[in-house]
Amino acid sequence: MILGPSDVLDTVVAAETPEGILLELRPAGLTARFYAFGLDWTIRLMIIYAAAMVTTVIGGIGVAFWLVLVFGLEWLYPIAFELSPSGATPGKRVFGLRVVMDNGLPVTAAASVARNLLRVADFLPFGYGFAIVSMLLRRDCKRLGDIAAATIVLHQPRATSRMPLHTVVPVSPARPLAPEDQAAIIALAARAPGLTAGRLDELAALAAAASGDVGRSGPAVTRRVLGVAEWLLGRR
Amino acid sequence: MEAADLGVRLCQSAAASVYLCYAIVALPVMALAFASFELAGWLPAVLLWCAKPWLDRTILFVLSRAAFGKRTSPADVWREQRRVWWKQLLFTWTIRRLSLWRSLTLPVYQLEELSIWKAGERVRQIRHRHAASAMMMTSAFSVSETALTIALVSLVFWLAPSGRTPDLSGLLSGEVPKVLALSIPIAYATALLFLEPFYVAAGFAMYLNRRAELEAWDIEQEFRRAFAH
Repeated sequence: MILGPSDVLDTVVAAETPEGILLELRPAGLTARFYAFGLDWTIRLMIIYAAAMVTTVIGGIGVAFWLVLVFGLEWLYPIAFELSPSGATPGKRVFGLRVVMDNGLPVTAAASVARNLLRVADFLPFGYGFAIVSMLLRRDCKRLGDIAAATIVLHQPRATSRMPLHTVVPVSPARPLAPEDQAAIIALAARAPGLTAGRLDELAALAAAASGDVGRSGPAVTRRVLGVAEWLLGRR
Repeated sequence: MEAADLGVRLCQSAAASVYLCYAIVALPVMALAFASFELAGWLPAVLLWCAKPWLDRTILFVLSRAAFGKRTSPADVWREQRRVWWKQLLFTWTIRRLSLWRSLTLPVYQLEELSIWKAGERVRQIRHRHAASAMMMTSAFSVSETALTIALVSLVFWLAPSGRTPDLSGLLSGEVPKVLALSIPIAYATALLFLEPFYVAAGFAMYLNRRAELEAWDIEQEFRRAFAH
Protein backbone atom coordinates (compact mmCIF):
# COMPACT_ATOMS: atom_id res chain seq x y z
CA MET A 1 0.00 0.00 0.00
CA ILE A 2 1.46 3.36 -1.02
CA LEU A 3 0.30 6.38 0.95
CA GLY A 4 -1.71 8.77 -1.17
CA PRO A 5 -1.24 12.51 -0.83
CA SER A 6 -4.40 12.74 1.27
CA ASP A 7 -3.06 10.56 4.08
CA VAL A 8 0.50 11.86 4.21
CA LEU A 9 1.72 11.58 7.75
CA ASP A 10 1.76 14.98 9.39
CA THR A 11 1.06 16.47 12.79
CA VAL A 12 -0.75 19.49 11.33
CA VAL A 13 -4.49 19.76 11.95
CA ALA A 14 -6.65 22.08 9.88
CA ALA A 15 -9.09 24.69 11.20
CA GLU A 16 -11.54 26.37 8.85
CA THR A 17 -12.44 30.02 9.32
CA PRO A 18 -15.98 31.25 8.52
CA GLU A 19 -14.52 32.72 5.30
CA GLY A 20 -13.61 29.21 4.19
CA ILE A 21 -9.89 29.62 4.72
CA LEU A 22 -8.01 26.60 6.02
CA LEU A 23 -5.57 27.41 8.80
CA GLU A 24 -2.80 24.97 9.58
CA LEU A 25 -2.36 24.43 13.31
CA ARG A 26 0.63 22.57 14.71
CA PRO A 27 -0.48 20.98 17.99
CA ALA A 28 2.21 20.48 20.62
CA GLY A 29 2.76 16.98 21.92
CA LEU A 30 3.73 15.32 25.16
CA THR A 31 7.42 16.30 25.43
CA ALA A 32 7.07 20.05 24.96
CA ARG A 33 3.99 20.27 27.15
CA PHE A 34 5.56 18.13 29.84
CA TYR A 35 8.51 20.50 30.14
CA ALA A 36 6.35 23.61 29.97
CA PHE A 37 4.26 22.22 32.81
CA GLY A 38 7.37 21.29 34.76
CA LEU A 39 8.79 24.79 34.46
CA ASP A 40 5.52 26.45 35.50
CA TRP A 41 5.27 24.10 38.41
CA THR A 42 8.81 24.93 39.54
CA ILE A 43 8.08 28.66 39.30
CA ARG A 44 4.92 28.26 41.39
CA LEU A 45 6.75 26.16 43.93
CA MET A 46 9.52 28.72 44.28
CA ILE A 47 7.03 31.55 44.81
CA ILE A 48 5.16 29.49 47.39
CA TYR A 49 8.40 28.63 49.16
CA ALA A 50 9.60 32.24 49.23
CA ALA A 51 6.21 33.41 50.48
CA ALA A 52 6.27 30.76 53.20
CA MET A 53 9.54 32.13 54.53
CA VAL A 54 8.13 35.65 54.71
CA THR A 55 4.71 34.76 56.12
CA THR A 56 5.95 32.45 58.88
CA VAL A 57 7.81 35.44 60.27
CA ILE A 58 4.52 37.34 60.46
CA GLY A 59 2.71 34.27 61.84
CA GLY A 60 -1.08 34.01 62.40
CA ILE A 61 -2.61 36.23 59.72
CA GLY A 62 0.49 35.63 57.59
CA VAL A 63 -0.29 31.93 57.29
CA ALA A 64 -3.81 32.84 56.23
CA PHE A 65 -2.44 35.07 53.48
CA TRP A 66 -0.05 32.31 52.46
CA LEU A 67 -2.89 29.80 52.08
CA VAL A 68 -4.82 32.29 49.95
CA LEU A 69 -1.70 32.76 47.83
CA VAL A 70 -1.25 29.00 47.36
CA PHE A 71 -4.86 28.70 46.26
CA GLY A 72 -4.58 31.68 43.93
CA LEU A 73 -1.35 30.48 42.33
CA GLU A 74 -2.68 27.00 41.71
CA TRP A 75 -5.86 28.17 39.99
CA LEU A 76 -5.29 31.69 38.69
CA TYR A 77 -1.66 31.58 37.55
CA PRO A 78 -2.34 29.74 34.27
CA ILE A 79 -5.58 31.61 33.60
CA ALA A 80 -3.98 35.05 34.06
CA PHE A 81 -1.08 34.24 31.75
CA GLU A 82 -3.20 32.54 29.10
CA LEU A 83 -5.44 35.60 28.86
CA SER A 84 -2.43 37.89 28.46
CA PRO A 85 -1.50 38.88 24.88
CA SER A 86 1.12 36.12 24.61
CA GLY A 87 -1.50 33.46 25.34
CA ALA A 88 0.98 31.36 27.27
CA THR A 89 2.32 30.80 30.78
CA PRO A 90 6.05 31.50 31.23
CA GLY A 91 6.78 27.77 30.91
CA LYS A 92 4.87 27.54 27.65
CA ARG A 93 6.57 30.67 26.34
CA VAL A 94 10.02 29.21 26.97
CA PHE A 95 9.13 26.13 24.93
CA GLY A 96 7.44 28.14 22.17
CA LEU A 97 3.89 27.05 22.91
CA ARG A 98 0.64 28.98 23.08
CA VAL A 99 -2.99 28.23 23.90
CA VAL A 100 -5.64 29.13 21.30
CA MET A 101 -9.21 28.13 20.54
CA ASP A 102 -9.87 25.23 18.16
CA ASN A 103 -10.44 27.65 15.31
CA GLY A 104 -7.17 29.47 15.85
CA LEU A 105 -8.67 32.51 17.62
CA PRO A 106 -7.17 33.79 20.90
CA VAL A 107 -8.36 31.84 23.92
CA THR A 108 -11.48 33.25 25.62
CA ALA A 109 -11.78 33.79 29.37
CA ALA A 110 -14.46 31.10 29.76
CA ALA A 111 -12.38 28.56 27.86
CA SER A 112 -9.26 29.34 29.84
CA VAL A 113 -11.11 28.92 33.14
CA ALA A 114 -12.70 25.68 31.94
CA ARG A 115 -9.48 24.10 30.72
CA ASN A 116 -7.64 25.00 33.91
CA LEU A 117 -10.38 23.88 36.29
CA LEU A 118 -10.51 20.57 34.46
CA ARG A 119 -6.86 19.95 35.22
CA VAL A 120 -8.40 18.06 38.14
CA ALA A 121 -10.03 15.63 35.70
CA ASP A 122 -6.74 15.24 33.86
CA PHE A 123 -4.96 14.52 37.11
CA LEU A 124 -7.12 11.44 37.70
CA PRO A 125 -6.66 8.64 38.53
CA PHE A 126 -3.36 10.03 39.79
CA GLY A 127 -0.36 11.91 38.44
CA TYR A 128 -2.07 13.24 35.28
CA GLY A 129 -2.76 9.71 34.01
CA PHE A 130 -5.71 10.68 31.85
CA ALA A 131 -3.87 13.68 30.41
CA ILE A 132 -0.95 11.52 29.25
CA VAL A 133 -3.19 8.89 27.64
CA SER A 134 -5.42 11.48 26.01
CA MET A 135 -2.49 13.47 24.58
CA LEU A 136 -0.93 10.35 23.07
CA LEU A 137 -4.11 8.94 21.59
CA ARG A 138 -5.52 12.07 20.01
CA ARG A 139 -4.33 13.51 16.72
CA ASP A 140 -4.55 17.04 18.08
CA CYS A 141 -2.77 16.17 21.36
CA LYS A 142 -5.55 17.53 23.58
CA ARG A 143 -5.94 16.70 27.21
CA LEU A 144 -9.43 16.36 28.69
CA GLY A 145 -9.53 20.02 29.72
CA ASP A 146 -8.73 21.06 26.15
CA ILE A 147 -11.48 18.87 24.77
CA ALA A 148 -14.05 20.35 27.13
CA ALA A 149 -12.98 23.95 26.57
CA ALA A 150 -12.42 23.53 22.79
CA THR A 151 -8.88 24.85 23.10
CA ILE A 152 -5.64 23.56 21.63
CA VAL A 153 -1.97 24.05 22.53
CA LEU A 154 0.18 24.94 19.52
CA HIS A 155 3.80 25.34 18.59
CA GLN A 156 4.42 28.99 17.73
CA PRO A 157 5.39 29.27 14.08
CA ARG A 158 9.07 30.02 13.64
CA ALA A 159 10.52 32.12 10.87
CA THR A 160 12.30 30.00 8.25
CA SER A 161 15.40 31.14 6.44
CA ARG A 162 14.87 32.59 2.99
CA MET A 163 15.88 30.84 -0.18
CA PRO A 164 18.98 32.35 -1.75
CA LEU A 165 17.87 31.68 -5.30
CA HIS A 166 18.52 34.95 -7.11
CA THR A 167 21.88 33.65 -8.28
CA VAL A 168 20.55 30.95 -10.62
CA VAL A 169 18.91 31.45 -13.99
CA PRO A 170 15.29 30.21 -14.22
CA VAL A 171 14.98 27.05 -16.31
CA SER A 172 11.65 25.83 -17.63
CA PRO A 173 10.97 22.17 -16.72
CA ALA A 174 11.72 19.66 -19.47
CA ARG A 175 8.65 17.61 -18.62
CA PRO A 176 5.32 18.18 -16.88
CA LEU A 177 5.71 17.89 -13.10
CA ALA A 178 3.04 16.69 -10.68
CA PRO A 179 2.36 19.01 -7.71
CA GLU A 180 4.23 16.69 -5.30
CA ASP A 181 7.26 16.66 -7.62
CA GLN A 182 7.21 20.44 -7.83
CA ALA A 183 7.05 20.64 -4.04
CA ALA A 184 10.04 18.29 -3.75
CA ILE A 185 12.16 20.39 -6.13
CA ILE A 186 11.25 23.60 -4.32
CA ALA A 187 12.06 21.90 -1.00
CA LEU A 188 15.48 20.97 -2.38
CA ALA A 189 16.12 24.61 -3.27
CA ALA A 190 14.93 25.74 0.16
CA ARG A 191 17.32 23.40 1.95
CA ALA A 192 20.22 23.77 -0.48
CA PRO A 193 22.19 26.14 1.83
CA GLY A 194 22.20 23.53 4.62
CA LEU A 195 23.55 20.69 2.49
CA THR A 196 27.11 19.93 1.46
CA ALA A 197 27.89 20.64 -2.18
CA GLY A 198 28.55 16.95 -2.90
CA ARG A 199 25.26 15.83 -1.42
CA LEU A 200 23.41 18.60 -3.25
CA ASP A 201 24.84 17.44 -6.60
CA GLU A 202 23.87 13.86 -5.74
CA LEU A 203 20.26 14.87 -5.04
CA ALA A 204 20.05 17.16 -8.06
CA ALA A 205 21.28 14.30 -10.26
CA LEU A 206 18.28 12.25 -9.12
CA ALA A 207 15.96 15.02 -10.28
CA ALA A 208 17.93 15.78 -13.44
CA ALA A 209 15.00 14.62 -15.55
CA ALA A 210 13.15 17.77 -14.50
CA SER A 211 15.64 20.02 -16.26
CA GLY A 212 16.21 17.63 -19.17
CA ASP A 213 19.66 16.45 -18.04
CA VAL A 214 18.88 12.76 -17.53
CA GLY A 215 21.95 10.73 -16.62
CA ARG A 216 24.22 13.71 -16.04
CA SER A 217 25.37 15.21 -12.77
CA GLY A 218 27.66 17.87 -11.39
CA PRO A 219 27.43 21.50 -10.27
CA ALA A 220 26.11 22.65 -13.66
CA VAL A 221 23.18 20.22 -13.47
CA THR A 222 22.56 21.29 -9.87
CA ARG A 223 22.29 24.91 -10.98
CA ARG A 224 19.83 23.94 -13.71
CA VAL A 225 17.66 21.91 -11.26
CA LEU A 226 17.67 24.85 -8.85
CA GLY A 227 16.76 26.98 -11.86
CA VAL A 228 13.68 24.79 -12.30
CA ALA A 229 12.75 25.56 -8.69
CA GLU A 230 13.17 29.27 -9.45
CA TRP A 231 10.91 28.87 -12.49
CA LEU A 232 8.32 26.94 -10.48
CA LEU A 233 8.23 29.75 -7.92
CA GLY A 234 7.20 32.08 -10.70
CA ARG A 235 10.42 34.05 -11.22
CA ARG A 236 10.53 33.64 -14.99
CA MET B 1 11.02 18.10 19.88
CA GLU B 2 8.27 18.67 17.39
CA ALA B 3 9.68 15.75 15.41
CA ALA B 4 8.80 13.53 18.37
CA ASP B 5 5.15 14.49 17.88
CA LEU B 6 5.34 13.19 14.33
CA GLY B 7 6.47 9.87 15.76
CA VAL B 8 3.39 9.79 17.97
CA ARG B 9 1.29 10.35 14.82
CA LEU B 10 3.14 7.53 13.05
CA CYS B 11 2.44 5.22 15.97
CA GLN B 12 -1.23 6.20 15.98
CA SER B 13 -1.62 5.52 12.28
CA ALA B 14 0.13 2.14 12.46
CA ALA B 15 -1.29 1.24 15.88
CA ALA B 16 -2.97 -2.00 14.83
CA SER B 17 0.15 -3.75 13.52
CA VAL B 18 2.49 -2.15 16.06
CA TYR B 19 0.49 -3.24 19.08
CA LEU B 20 -0.26 -6.71 17.68
CA CYS B 21 3.39 -7.54 16.95
CA TYR B 22 4.61 -5.88 20.14
CA ALA B 23 2.08 -7.64 22.37
CA ILE B 24 2.95 -11.05 20.92
CA VAL B 25 6.60 -10.50 21.80
CA ALA B 26 6.11 -8.59 25.04
CA LEU B 27 3.48 -10.71 26.75
CA PRO B 28 5.64 -13.87 27.03
CA VAL B 29 8.52 -11.73 28.32
CA MET B 30 6.19 -10.20 30.86
CA ALA B 31 4.90 -13.61 31.87
CA LEU B 32 8.47 -14.77 32.44
CA ALA B 33 9.21 -11.65 34.45
CA PHE B 34 6.13 -12.20 36.60
CA ALA B 35 7.22 -15.77 37.22
CA SER B 36 10.17 -14.33 39.14
CA PHE B 37 7.81 -12.68 41.63
CA GLU B 38 8.19 -15.65 43.95
CA LEU B 39 11.95 -15.05 44.17
CA ALA B 40 11.69 -11.38 45.09
CA GLY B 41 8.88 -8.86 44.88
CA TRP B 42 10.99 -6.27 43.09
CA LEU B 43 12.44 -8.65 40.48
CA PRO B 44 9.66 -8.54 37.81
CA ALA B 45 9.82 -4.74 37.48
CA VAL B 46 13.62 -4.79 37.21
CA LEU B 47 13.56 -7.55 34.60
CA LEU B 48 11.00 -5.67 32.54
CA TRP B 49 13.08 -2.52 32.82
CA CYS B 50 16.11 -4.40 31.47
CA ALA B 51 14.09 -5.97 28.67
CA LYS B 52 12.92 -2.65 27.25
CA PRO B 53 15.67 -2.09 24.64
CA TRP B 54 15.15 -5.61 23.34
CA LEU B 55 11.38 -5.19 23.12
CA ASP B 56 11.91 -1.85 21.35
CA ARG B 57 13.53 -3.62 18.41
CA THR B 58 10.29 -5.33 17.42
CA ILE B 59 8.41 -2.02 17.61
CA LEU B 60 11.03 -0.24 15.50
CA PHE B 61 10.90 -2.99 12.89
CA VAL B 62 7.15 -2.53 12.50
CA LEU B 63 7.39 1.28 12.54
CA SER B 64 10.19 1.41 9.98
CA ARG B 65 7.99 -0.53 7.58
CA ALA B 66 4.95 1.58 8.45
CA ALA B 67 6.91 4.72 7.53
CA PHE B 68 6.96 3.37 3.97
CA GLY B 69 3.29 2.44 4.08
CA LYS B 70 3.87 -1.29 4.56
CA ARG B 71 1.76 -3.30 6.95
CA THR B 72 3.49 -5.81 9.19
CA SER B 73 2.03 -9.04 10.49
CA PRO B 74 3.59 -11.17 13.25
CA ALA B 75 4.62 -13.60 10.48
CA ASP B 76 6.85 -10.88 8.97
CA VAL B 77 8.56 -10.34 12.31
CA TRP B 78 9.05 -14.09 12.65
CA ARG B 79 10.62 -14.27 9.18
CA GLU B 80 13.04 -11.45 10.02
CA GLN B 81 13.68 -12.67 13.55
CA ARG B 82 17.44 -12.93 13.10
CA ARG B 83 17.70 -9.24 12.27
CA VAL B 84 15.08 -8.08 14.73
CA TRP B 85 15.61 -10.23 17.78
CA TRP B 86 18.99 -11.92 17.77
CA LYS B 87 21.42 -9.36 16.35
CA GLN B 88 23.50 -7.23 18.77
CA LEU B 89 21.95 -9.14 21.65
CA LEU B 90 24.81 -8.43 24.05
CA PHE B 91 24.79 -4.64 23.60
CA THR B 92 21.02 -4.50 23.62
CA TRP B 93 20.84 -6.08 27.04
CA THR B 94 23.76 -4.20 28.59
CA ILE B 95 25.10 -0.74 27.77
CA ARG B 96 22.29 0.39 25.51
CA ARG B 97 19.85 0.04 28.38
CA LEU B 98 21.71 2.89 30.08
CA SER B 99 21.74 5.18 27.06
CA LEU B 100 19.94 8.46 27.60
CA TRP B 101 18.91 8.73 23.94
CA ARG B 102 18.08 5.10 23.36
CA SER B 103 15.28 5.54 20.88
CA LEU B 104 17.13 8.12 18.77
CA THR B 105 20.16 5.89 18.27
CA LEU B 106 18.37 2.55 18.00
CA PRO B 107 17.50 3.13 14.31
CA VAL B 108 21.22 3.58 13.56
CA TYR B 109 22.11 0.28 15.20
CA GLN B 110 19.16 -1.70 13.95
CA LEU B 111 18.32 -0.30 10.50
CA GLU B 112 21.64 0.92 9.14
CA GLU B 113 23.44 -2.29 10.15
CA LEU B 114 26.91 -0.79 10.19
CA SER B 115 29.95 -2.40 11.79
CA ILE B 116 30.44 -1.51 15.45
CA TRP B 117 33.11 1.18 14.88
CA LYS B 118 31.30 2.87 12.03
CA ALA B 119 28.05 2.77 13.99
CA GLY B 120 29.70 4.63 16.86
CA GLU B 121 30.81 7.39 14.51
CA ARG B 122 27.41 7.53 12.86
CA VAL B 123 25.63 7.72 16.21
CA ARG B 124 27.78 10.68 17.20
CA GLN B 125 26.89 12.40 13.94
CA ILE B 126 23.15 11.76 14.36
CA ARG B 127 23.25 12.81 18.01
CA HIS B 128 25.29 15.97 17.39
CA ARG B 129 23.38 19.00 18.74
CA HIS B 130 20.33 16.77 19.23
CA ALA B 131 21.46 14.91 22.32
CA ALA B 132 19.70 17.41 24.58
CA SER B 133 16.31 17.16 22.90
CA ALA B 134 16.59 13.36 22.67
CA MET B 135 17.43 13.24 26.36
CA MET B 136 14.52 15.52 27.21
CA MET B 137 12.19 13.34 25.17
CA THR B 138 13.46 10.22 26.92
CA SER B 139 13.01 11.72 30.35
CA ALA B 140 9.55 13.07 29.51
CA PHE B 141 8.49 9.58 28.52
CA SER B 142 10.10 7.92 31.51
CA VAL B 143 8.39 10.33 33.90
CA SER B 144 5.12 9.68 32.06
CA GLU B 145 5.74 5.98 32.50
CA THR B 146 6.20 6.42 36.23
CA ALA B 147 3.12 8.65 36.39
CA LEU B 148 1.02 6.08 34.57
CA THR B 149 2.31 3.31 36.81
CA ILE B 150 1.39 5.28 39.91
CA ALA B 151 -1.97 6.14 38.36
CA LEU B 152 -2.70 2.46 37.78
CA VAL B 153 -1.56 1.50 41.27
CA SER B 154 -3.81 4.23 42.66
CA LEU B 155 -6.73 2.37 41.12
CA VAL B 156 -6.21 -0.25 43.82
CA PHE B 157 -7.10 2.42 46.36
CA TRP B 158 -9.94 3.88 44.27
CA LEU B 159 -11.59 0.55 43.64
CA ALA B 160 -10.92 -1.25 46.91
CA PRO B 161 -14.04 -2.06 48.97
CA SER B 162 -14.40 0.44 51.81
CA GLY B 163 -12.40 -0.51 54.83
CA ARG B 164 -10.21 -2.89 52.82
CA THR B 165 -7.74 -0.38 51.36
CA PRO B 166 -4.13 -1.55 51.68
CA ASP B 167 -2.48 -0.48 54.90
CA LEU B 168 0.39 1.90 54.16
CA SER B 169 1.54 2.35 57.76
CA GLY B 170 4.20 -0.33 57.37
CA LEU B 171 5.75 1.26 54.25
CA LEU B 172 8.39 3.20 56.14
CA SER B 173 9.67 0.10 57.90
CA GLY B 174 9.85 -1.74 54.57
CA GLU B 175 6.69 -3.80 54.88
CA VAL B 176 4.84 -3.57 51.59
CA PRO B 177 1.31 -4.98 51.61
CA LYS B 178 0.95 -8.01 49.33
CA VAL B 179 -1.68 -6.36 47.10
CA LEU B 180 0.59 -3.42 46.50
CA ALA B 181 3.68 -5.55 45.88
CA LEU B 182 1.75 -7.45 43.24
CA SER B 183 0.02 -4.49 41.66
CA ILE B 184 3.19 -2.45 41.10
CA PRO B 185 4.78 -4.79 38.52
CA ILE B 186 1.42 -5.33 36.84
CA ALA B 187 0.85 -1.58 36.61
CA TYR B 188 4.39 -1.08 35.32
CA ALA B 189 3.92 -3.76 32.67
CA THR B 190 0.64 -2.17 31.55
CA ALA B 191 2.22 1.28 31.33
CA LEU B 192 5.08 -0.25 29.33
CA LEU B 193 2.70 -1.99 26.99
CA PHE B 194 0.96 1.28 26.24
CA LEU B 195 3.83 3.79 26.21
CA GLU B 196 6.82 2.00 24.71
CA PRO B 197 5.60 2.09 21.08
CA PHE B 198 5.07 5.84 21.37
CA TYR B 199 8.54 6.33 22.82
CA VAL B 200 10.23 4.29 20.10
CA ALA B 201 8.20 6.07 17.44
CA ALA B 202 9.16 9.47 18.85
CA GLY B 203 12.84 8.54 18.69
CA PHE B 204 12.46 7.12 15.21
CA ALA B 205 10.84 10.33 13.98
CA MET B 206 13.65 12.38 15.54
CA TYR B 207 16.11 10.14 13.71
CA LEU B 208 14.30 10.68 10.40
CA ASN B 209 14.19 14.41 11.08
CA ARG B 210 17.91 14.43 11.70
CA ARG B 211 18.56 12.59 8.46
CA ALA B 212 16.31 14.99 6.60
CA GLU B 213 18.41 17.79 8.06
CA LEU B 214 21.80 16.16 7.39
CA GLU B 215 21.27 14.73 3.96
CA ALA B 216 17.75 15.74 2.82
CA TRP B 217 16.78 12.09 3.05
CA ASP B 218 13.08 12.85 2.57
CA ILE B 219 13.73 14.75 -0.67
CA GLU B 220 15.79 11.83 -1.94
CA GLN B 221 12.83 9.51 -1.33
CA GLU B 222 10.52 11.91 -3.19
CA PHE B 223 12.90 12.20 -6.16
CA ARG B 224 13.34 8.44 -6.38
CA ARG B 225 9.57 8.07 -6.49
CA ALA B 226 9.02 10.89 -8.98
CA PHE B 227 11.91 10.46 -11.41
CA ALA B 228 12.61 6.73 -11.21
CA HIS B 229 11.13 6.07 -14.65
